[in-house]
Amino acid sequence: MAVALPEVVEELLSEMAAAVRDSARIPDELLLSLKFVFGSSAIQALDLVDRQSITLISSPSGRRVYQVLGSSGKTYTCLASCHYCSCPAFAFSVLRKNDSLLCKHLLAIYISQVMRNCQQLSVSDKQLTDILLMEETRSIKGANGTSLSFNIEAH
Amino acid sequence: MAETLRRVLSGGNAAGTGEDTTAESGPPVLLLGAQGSGKTSLMFATALEAAGEGCGPVLFLTRRPLQRLPRSTRAAREPLRLQKVRFQYPPSTLELLQLLASTHEVPGPAPCLLLLDGLEEYLAEDPGTQEAAYLAALLLDTAAYFSHRLGSNRSCGLMVALETQVEADGADAPQLTLLQRYFPAKCWLQPEAPGLGQQGCFRACLELGTPGPRAEWTFKFFPDGEMKITPWPTQPTSPSPDKKSSSAGGQSLTSVCDNVSGQFPGPGTAGQVHMQRPKE
Repeated sequence: MAVALPEVVEELLSEMAAAVRDSARIPDELLLSLKFVFGSSAIQALDLVDRQSITLISSPSGRRVYQVLGSSGKTYTCLASCHYCSCPAFAFSVLRKNDSLLCKHLLAIYISQVMRNCQQLSVSDKQLTDILLMEETRSIKGANGTSLSFNIEAH
Repeated sequence: MAETLRRVLSGGNAAGTGEDTTAESGPPVLLLGAQGSGKTSLMFATALEAAGEGCGPVLFLTRRPLQRLPRSTRAAREPLRLQKVRFQYPPSTLELLQLLASTHEVPGPAPCLLLLDGLEEYLAEDPGTQEAAYLAALLLDTAAYFSHRLGSNRSCGLMVALETQVEADGADAPQLTLLQRYFPAKCWLQPEAPGLGQQGCFRACLELGTPGPRAEWTFKFFPDGEMKITPWPTQPTSPSPDKKSSSAGGQSLTSVCDNVSGQFPGPGTAGQVHMQRPKE
């Protein structure tokens, strides 16, 4: 993502990327560092990555968005270019209380970028617009949006 | 965006020096100021500057159609430049979000600059933090998408104007703290001094959010619609030369502003324009 992370996190992620390139796994000490920086979110994020819960959705226009299948079965929409996740934890811990830098879904996205095990999904331009709008219109209108269910298939 | 804004404020084009054509527009900028502090005019001047650079069209979003052209420098108001500025007027937050979310469906060249005037009007509809964050994030995402379309050398700038209330204790409004997360670069506009707001004399202070000196300028609107910008000297003892074609009016104004700077009632220490640092 284009938004700057604190230097320690950037370094950690690039060390992880280098380790994955070399041996396709993340060494324990980097995992420990991740846990040190992010606390319990790190474990939950790694779990999401293991379960292949992150999907990068793109359309012919080139615009992209992420969706993460949360542990509760709900799908959250995360923007690809800056820190935003539609999950309640982001609104609370990150935005309101400023406790955490990232929610577990955003962290999972970063890790899956490093691990390169993101699912990929192609949709039409119109469908991408709907995905970008769905979460927000749900909260503005206060109505239950229809849950978007894509067949998430690995490429 | 900050770099384009800096070029506008520095009158770079008028100086005629060889500008770097692979214009890096810089980080997104949040333009802040009370009502009537010149935000729309500065946004418009920036839009014309970017249009003049020829990198692509400019998209200017605002809630209500502009009744008349905002004040700007005469040189900037060439018809060719104006043609490149596309105005759209989403009347509600929902329609603004729909506009931003569907920009990739619209064919044609990607804009090199995206401006939004009057963010406070959209935020007032839905004061929740998640909605405000989503609007800010979608603005950034839209600009990032335009940058992606423009190609490797170029990026799309983003500039958003937010009207602030004059707070007695200078505390940042909660929404501002939230927006600072997405807009680390800020440009504050204030009347140069209590009385000078009426005379159209303003101070612009650009903070990039990174350590380093702030850059400040004064700008002045004349009754005939002209706007003149002069850089504010960072050292009080060495005033910078007037970059615009100097006129007697421009020079004497700078010295007037010099004299009253000490009385400026900002939220910071006396004698200097200090902005409150965002709480990390």
